Amino acid sequence: MEKKSMKGWLYLLPALIIITVFTLYPLIRAFSMSIMLDYDMIHNTFTGYGLENYQKVLSDKSFHKALGNTTIYAVVVVPCSIILSLLIAAMINGTKKTKGLFQTIYFLPYVTSVIAIGIVWSWIYNSRYGLLNSIISFFGFDPIEWLNKPKYALPALIIFAVWKSMAFNIMVFLAGLQTIPKEIYDAAKVDSTPRWRVFLRITVPGIAPMIVYSYIMGIISAFKVYNEVYSLYGGKAGPADSAITVVYYIWKKFYQSFKYGEAAAAAVILFFIILAFTMVQKLVRKFLSR
Amino acid sequence: MDIRIENLTKAYGDFKAVDNMNLTVGDGQLVGLLGPSGCGKSTTLFMLAGLTEATTGRIFFGDKEVTKVAPEDRGIGLVFQNYALYPHMTVEDNIMFPLINRKVRKDAARQQAYEMAKLVQIENLLKRKPSELSGGQQQRVAIARALVKKPEVLLLDEPLSNLDAKLRVETREEIRRIQQEVGITTIFVTHDQEEAMSISDQIAVMKSGVVQQFDVPQSMYLNPCNRFVATFLGTPEINIIDVEVLGGTIKCGDVVLRTGVDVKNGTYKAGIRPESFTHRENDHKYSVNSVRMIGRDLLLHLDMAGRDVRAITHSGQSITTGDTVEFSVRESSIILFGSDDKVIGKF
Repeated sequence: MEKKSMKGWLYLLPALIIITVFTLYPLIRAFSMSIMLDYDMIHNTFTGYGLENYQKVLSDKSFHKALGNTTIYAVVVVPCSIILSLLIAAMINGTKKTKGLFQTIYFLPYVTSVIAIGIVWSWIYNSRYGLLNSIISFFGFDPIEWLNKPKYALPALIIFAVWKSMAFNIMVFLAGLQTIPKEIYDAAKVDSTPRWRVFLRITVPGIAPMIVYSYIMGIISAFKVYNEVYSLYGGKAGPADSAITVVYYIWKKFYQSFKYGEAAAAAVILFFIILAFTMVQKLVRKFLSR
Repeated sequence: MDIRIENLTKAYGDFKAVDNMNLTVGDGQLVGLLGPSGCGKSTTLFMLAGLTEATTGRIFFGDKEVTKVAPEDRGIGLVFQNYALYPHMTVEDNIMFPLINRKVRKDAARQQAYEMAKLVQIENLLKRKPSELSGGQQQRVAIARALVKKPEVLLLDEPLSNLDAKLRVETREEIRRIQQEVGITTIFVTHDQEEAMSISDQIAVMKSGVVQQFDVPQSMYLNPCNRFVATFLGTPEINIIDVEVLGGTIKCGDVVLRTGVDVKNGTYKAGIRPESFTHRENDHKYSVNSVRMIGRDLLLHLDMAGRDVRAITHSGQSITTGDTVEFSVRESSIILFGSDDKVIGKF
């Protein structure tokens, strides 16, 4: 028995080491850092323990802005992306010959570097030469200064993020759609089911597990959004930090202001927000699967 | 409603899944489409359903041509091999679904669903999900869902193939009972000859997309039109042996099987069903190669001039391997096939 469990631990060891070094240790470190006052990372000095870092972060207007932006981002991007992805996946699944082609096209954003995509999108959003504005002016509207006006910064980020996150969702949904037997659709046809009802009563319930999965993953990654901001605004968080997100806030506190304690405190707060979300979703999931 | 199939063909490139099929099914009949895998029986069924488009030919339901009519407008009920129940709906919602789509009011739909569930005897399962039902129960739900919209034609694709042996016998009787009660013209697809023979009014045996024979079960069994039909029907399988006809005598090797027949001299294939062998004193002596007990009967493997033939006899007798038995072949049960495998006659 002893020997057997030893062997088991041995197999787990590589994974355990990696998790400990790269996940558990940073987590504990962030917790401890967040309660160290005036922590200096380079000299590893601090003046005491306390909750002042949390106080500072929670009363920081910039953090409020970041939290607000992140929440709006998550609440808009995730559902929009899922609904659009679902429709597109259903459409791709309906085509026979071009299925493979469209599958590839829609998956491209996922395998392309975010930075490269960000560059393309900053061109699309460019107020003078951008694609989006030429489309808008074609329909007779005034061009919008997407990346230069604070009030458009978050919408621009959201449009970009919806587009980008669709790739993964479409892929997941297509895989899900293929598990629904063709006969069920044939049966629905014989039963003279209208198309919208086929979609709502057969397709959507059929891939409900994938939708829930995409939703949870989407929310979690939305709360961690940073790459999209960084790449779209070339290393800034939009004009006057108008598109700042929580992770961007953490990054800024850490690397620009050298407020390690406050960065850690913000990270811990984000950790608990995501934890709470995940727990709630687990409960909802349990309730739904009954 | 009677069904008429005229010159129906379904081609996939050069391959003809169904080849110039003609068939007329009378009102209220239960017809089995029988054949091996890939013979075109399911393709035929799906063309009748409208889910597969016919390449050429025409299909009539009553006087109305339905060849180009959409499945939902044909007035058919269709039961799939794997039942294709809507997995996220209760049994009741499954049965009601076709009615809701036809804008029947909800309480009326519920009432009709209940009546249909009662007909197929699942009225106590209405609140369950399909995944909580056994195969046989799912089958009944599928039939109820197919019948609830009062179709004029019921189509069943391999309705029993997903059930275990005992349930299969029960369910086929059940299908027959429901069909008789509703009086609906029904076509079902099967590869199981016993299933087809036991419940069908008529059987169409298919091979390579062509209907070989369309007949009532008994006459199909007794008077097959060719070697394929003779071989396909009946277990244990019919014996096919090489025989020689010389001066009105049918011989297999040195075994004289029949005398005084009016057939041209030559060599033929002959079919003899295992149950056609009957004990008779002083007839040909066959040595027994092996004996197998199959319940009511004994299956003997006999040596007929060096060839192995199957014969069935009552299991009450004590026959063992190595014994010698005296058998003759019953009157008019030797089926002679011509070189084209068509039946020449029975002797």
